[in-house]
Amino acid sequence: MAMKYAYHPGNVAHSNALEVADTMPFAAESLGIELIPLDAATSCGAGILRQANEELQITLNARTLAIAESMGLDIITSCATTAGTLHEDLNNLRNDKQLLSKVNDILQRHCGLTLKCEINVHHLLHVIVDEIGLEKLADAVKNPFGFKIAGYYGPNIQQDGACGGDDIFDPDYLEQVISVLGGEPVQWSSKTQSVGVPGLFSEDKTVMKQTASVLSDAKSEGAQLVVSACNLSHMLLDVYQGKAGKVSGKKTKVPVIHLTEFLAFAFGHYIDRCAQLRTRVLVIGD
Amino acid sequence: MFNNRNPVDSLVQPVGLWVIPMSAVTKVWIDEGCITCDACENIVPEVFQVEDETCVIVDGVNPSEWGDDIIEAAEGCPVDVIMYEVAGADEEPAEESPAEVIEEAVAVAEEVSTASAGAGVLAELMSGDRDVHIFFGSQSGNAESLSAKWAKKASDYGLVGHVHDMDGFDIATMSGMKRVLIACSTWGEGDMPDNAEALYAAAKGAGKILSNTHFSVCALGDSSYEFFCESGKEWDQVMEEMGASRIHERVDCDVDYDAPSEAWMSIAMSKIACVDDSGTFQEDLLEAMISHASGDSSAAVAGDVASVAEPEIQVTATIFRYDSMTGETGADAWACSLPGHYSVLQLLRTLKSTQDGSLTFRDGANNDPTTGVCVNGRLVLPGMVRLSDIARDKGNGAQIRIEPLAAFDVIRDLAVDLSSYDKLRMSTKPWFVGGEREGSYASGVVMGTMDPVVATELHSSTNFESHYILHASSDAVPHNQSYIGPALVNHLWNRSCDPRISDKSRTAIIESLSDVNGVKAETDMASIRRQGTMGLAVSKSILQAKKAALAHDGYNGRHGKHVWWYTWSIKSSGKVNETTLYRTVLGPMGLASNALSGVSARMIFGFTRTGRPMINELLALVAPPAGIGKMPKQFNSKVENHHEVVSIFNEMDGRF
Repeated sequence: MAMKYAYHPGNVAHSNALEVADTMPFAAESLGIELIPLDAATSCGAGILRQANEELQITLNARTLAIAESMGLDIITSCATTAGTLHEDLNNLRNDKQLLSKVNDILQRHCGLTLKCEINVHHLLHVIVDEIGLEKLADAVKNPFGFKIAGYYGPNIQQDGACGGDDIFDPDYLEQVISVLGGEPVQWSSKTQSVGVPGLFSEDKTVMKQTASVLSDAKSEGAQLVVSACNLSHMLLDVYQGKAGKVSGKKTKVPVIHLTEFLAFAFGHYIDRCAQLRTRVLVIGD
Repeated sequence: MFNNRNPVDSLVQPVGLWVIPMSAVTKVWIDEGCITCDACENIVPEVFQVEDETCVIVDGVNPSEWGDDIIEAAEGCPVDVIMYEVAGADEEPAEESPAEVIEEAVAVAEEVSTASAGAGVLAELMSGDRDVHIFFGSQSGNAESLSAKWAKKASDYGLVGHVHDMDGFDIATMSGMKRVLIACSTWGEGDMPDNAEALYAAAKGAGKILSNTHFSVCALGDSSYEFFCESGKEWDQVMEEMGASRIHERVDCDVDYDAPSEAWMSIAMSKIACVDDSGTFQEDLLEAMISHASGDSSAAVAGDVASVAEPEIQVTATIFRYDSMTGETGADAWACSLPGHYSVLQLLRTLKSTQDGSLTFRDGANNDPTTGVCVNGRLVLPGMVRLSDIARDKGNGAQIRIEPLAAFDVIRDLAVDLSSYDKLRMSTKPWFVGGEREGSYASGVVMGTMDPVVATELHSSTNFESHYILHASSDAVPHNQSYIGPALVNHLWNRSCDPRISDKSRTAIIESLSDVNGVKAETDMASIRRQGTMGLAVSKSILQAKKAALAHDGYNGRHGKHVWWYTWSIKSSGKVNETTLYRTVLGPMGLASNALSGVSARMIFGFTRTGRPMINELLALVAPPAGIGKMPKQFNSKVENHHEVVSIFNEMDGRF
């Protein structure tokens, strides 16, 4: 029987990370996950909205949470930023009854919703390891990878209570998944470091150095491919890697894909894209 | 167009009155022994001036104006040479602030707790005679200084240290001593130091007079001589001949004696502290004593020794190495078998004393804030974490990876240069500038009042184990050396919330926070928030500071526009519109920069990397490159029931 989750696509899957929108449904299908779309969900705020109005962000996220709760489902997302932000706001509401009461009053009047805080938020990675299990994951693999692969978590899901059964500071769930999918996981110290997404537009020089630091660390440890568990960080690690290299003077060019692409390719979906990726890694290289 | 916006949050307003300075220092002076490290001058240059040989007090300074800063400098002085007097120190403490009272109450409670803890397990051992007698035979002074150091440390073990010069000591007196430690150097070709010759000669003919004495010997010498540590060996033998019981094996120290003598002392002193009033060695209390000496009272509180002492664990310690002379970096790994309750600091000390004397790290008390390192990704004080708590076994045995704090330049191995933080701190002018306030009379003196909740909050929000660790918790700090960092942002924000400061000072602080190197330089608070309770509290402070800084700037500039238009785009469709952000925040120059740096090209040619179709939407045919590759959408479809989002916005924030 399929596991049902309400699916939050994150902040950029609808826009410049369409490959995530393409591959998530296929990855989920092979994993036995039924995704119920949350068409009314808003952006999680990504750490930006709260800088304008924290209660507004919490209320909008409470609306998203309440919608999923009314469907009787937990939320799943493939974006570490969204998972971390929703988890943080849910936690704030659970621990502050006054705030919850105020937010519910607004939700009731504008949306007819009430959040009971009985819902949970999960990142796809934690559902795979904690709920589905690595044995079932192995059963679904059709095109194992044979590369040295660096798994990037970012800091948002590596928070207390937000990373399932994984270690906050020294996680290895991605490495376990990479191994099962046939890759050779790279041990590197920058896997939970921030690339500075919230500062991309305002502190671009620092952000480029942060991005370069992560990419060059992965490369120096021999990674041929980086797999990101965060949609937003993925965008920076991929699109901005050339600029990051120029700003920092470091070697940054390495193929970066999202976890959902990695899973979908290994499960035998989009074999043309998978072949193209292999060509990039093995023939084109940097 | 942004200047007329209202600030999101008004600054915290004063909630009470305060007229008495927290620390009324009346006199300050410098004792002998200053090492001219500049630490005090960095903290309060108005008071301290470091010259070639020593630090001096600036002429004409009124210490009462700088009370808190002087005390902070004195507490931070590595050699404890800053002395000061506080008004009314011998009188009733009627003028303490609520925060101080709370702090002292906690300290007293902790002392009581520790005392009662000791009473639970070690109480009987701690009663009666607790003297430890430390004898030195010294030619150049090394053994003497070590003896003095150990005598000071004795109190950590519930002992009273007595240092004895061997010269002129009557050997018969030693017979009444239950606990004896000996530090003796070797002079020339195996000769006894001058001050030890007579006592040694007397000891050789004394007979078995030490049947109720436990002892251990620390021998100092130079391995380039044939008779290495000979005098210490002779004392070790003669003590045994006199009938004393060797409680811990002798250590023979070479010219670099600090680490081995320290390692010997910590165990020898622990053991000798377990000799009770009757002269019996209570071996079963050794682990409790080690915990007691390290400041860990948790086991004793529980009254269960077994809960502290843990069995040995096999652990592979991988430690970052950097040689500043050659510029080489790398890592060394050691397979160790150590008690699980050992701290990471004890692991480092053990490795240094037994494996590699060149291993460099900042040593100090367990809670020394300058000793911070990164262990398995955690930022910790190594004296405060146990191996069993932090080692991780991922199928190939327990592993511990120790690295220096990333925010600082590495001097050697794990030792980092902390001066960058001190310089940043100085640049923020962190001192307290009080405002004029009214007072009220209570019991004949002028008293200030403060809401106890505010006082506690002010006190606790900057009361962290290590500000250096907090500074290193930001992933932006290593890449922007001008950024003052989360510890200083937190400090400044806390100060701006202090109801006692002047309005002028509060305005200056907000301007400082709004500076390019202030809170706006933080790129991602998530990296700070994940650092436990401390990180969570500080990330909340930083968020408040950031909101205040953005409001101060009227949401102008890239930082303000980013936040503003991000929020606006969510109201417009429920989703983020990156095109709006690129256009409004970056502007033409930013877009040109992206075009020239290859960002735009990588977006347009994104389809070559993802394998997706080149064209995403029809707009690509009308206004390319929109809709091609990974170029973001120009227009978002609205989320379902978008009117609810608009309605919530309208109620909660009419600015958008």
